[in-house]
Amino acid sequence: MSNFMNHPYHLVDKSPWPLLSAFSVMSLVTGLAKWFHTFNVSLVAFSLFATTLIMIQWWRDVVREGTYQGLHTIQVGVGLRWGMILFITSEVLFFMSFFWAFFHSSLAPAVELGSSWPPAGIKPFNPFQIPLLNTAILLASGVTVTWSHHALMQNNYTQGLQGLVATVFLGLYFTSLQALEYYEAPFSIADAVYGSTFFVATGFHGLHVIIGTAFLLVCLIRHMFNHFSSTHHFGFEAAAWYWHFVDVVWLFLFISIYWWGN
Amino acid sequence: MASVLGKVVSRGISTTRVASGQAAVSGHQDGWKLWRKLTFLVALPGVALCMLNVYLGLDDVEAHSAPPFVPYDYMRIRNKRFPWGDGQKSLFHNPHVNALPGGYEHTDEHH
Repeated sequence: MSNFMNHPYHLVDKSPWPLLSAFSVMSLVTGLAKWFHTFNVSLVAFSLFATTLIMIQWWRDVVREGTYQGLHTIQVGVGLRWGMILFITSEVLFFMSFFWAFFHSSLAPAVELGSSWPPAGIKPFNPFQIPLLNTAILLASGVTVTWSHHALMQNNYTQGLQGLVATVFLGLYFTSLQALEYYEAPFSIADAVYGSTFFVATGFHGLHVIIGTAFLLVCLIRHMFNHFSSTHHFGFEAAAWYWHFVDVVWLFLFISIYWWGN
Repeated sequence: MASVLGKVVSRGISTTRVASGQAAVSGHQDGWKLWRKLTFLVALPGVALCMLNVYLGLDDVEAHSAPPFVPYDYMRIRNKRFPWGDGQKSLFHNPHVNALPGGYEHTDEHH
């Protein structure tokens, strides 16, 4: 099948991944419900494994189509950009729901909690210890990813690599510090609505940090395989956009939950 | 109307990409140098200062000790058991600072 066409669009080849990924994520959420009700983890474990494999193969195919087959024209790039922007927008709305829940419970604390926030019995984190360090780490990682991006745009391979390595390292550092905080926390998710809002909001954020770090790590590996040119590196830009989004969500978390909510 | 808006926004997106390509060619050869300077002179020193601040704060015994156990009914909720282990401990359970519904677990060591 020739790659010649007299239009700039990408009519994708037949692929099993869209349908299979739909099945595997359906199975994943069904497995979660099954785990919570029957305490049997098999379905969710298998579905997580399957979903991971399918994601790897689908994105591998996108890299093949774009980088190796040259099918990502400027017009295709516009579509990809829209896609990433809309996805990140949907994630913003996702987090807004958790901030809504937090403010709902904390602005007018229930009388059962002692009409105070934090509720009586909850010892919150000092925001100016590890949470502040985490803020500095994510802000720094925003600078390092920009360092990398400019280097890429100026065809400087080594500087691009260094910036990316620094960014991934900072992402991993953040995750380990948060894991430590989670273990050291004197309250759990089951400790009043404080624990619920805290761990659901910061937990989903942490998951997004892990996803963002993985995305950047993939970019790092692709950079080492010379996939990026100075003018064409949308995978990197998408990862950087996602990473900045993760950083901004943290800033909101830090200010409202850690600091104001203290 | 909607298609005009769509074209304008789409052109905005593709021009952004082309503009960054032009930046590579025109004269801004050293944009990365600015951001590398910011990294090593501002961002990472900021991280280091915060690390120092945490290190100095480790001695604060009160801040790092377990809160006294008061059996508030909105704490340590167990309407449904956790789907792991004996179902009584949260995922990041720390026996030093996390009490169970009946109180802290009895440990031999003093914290």
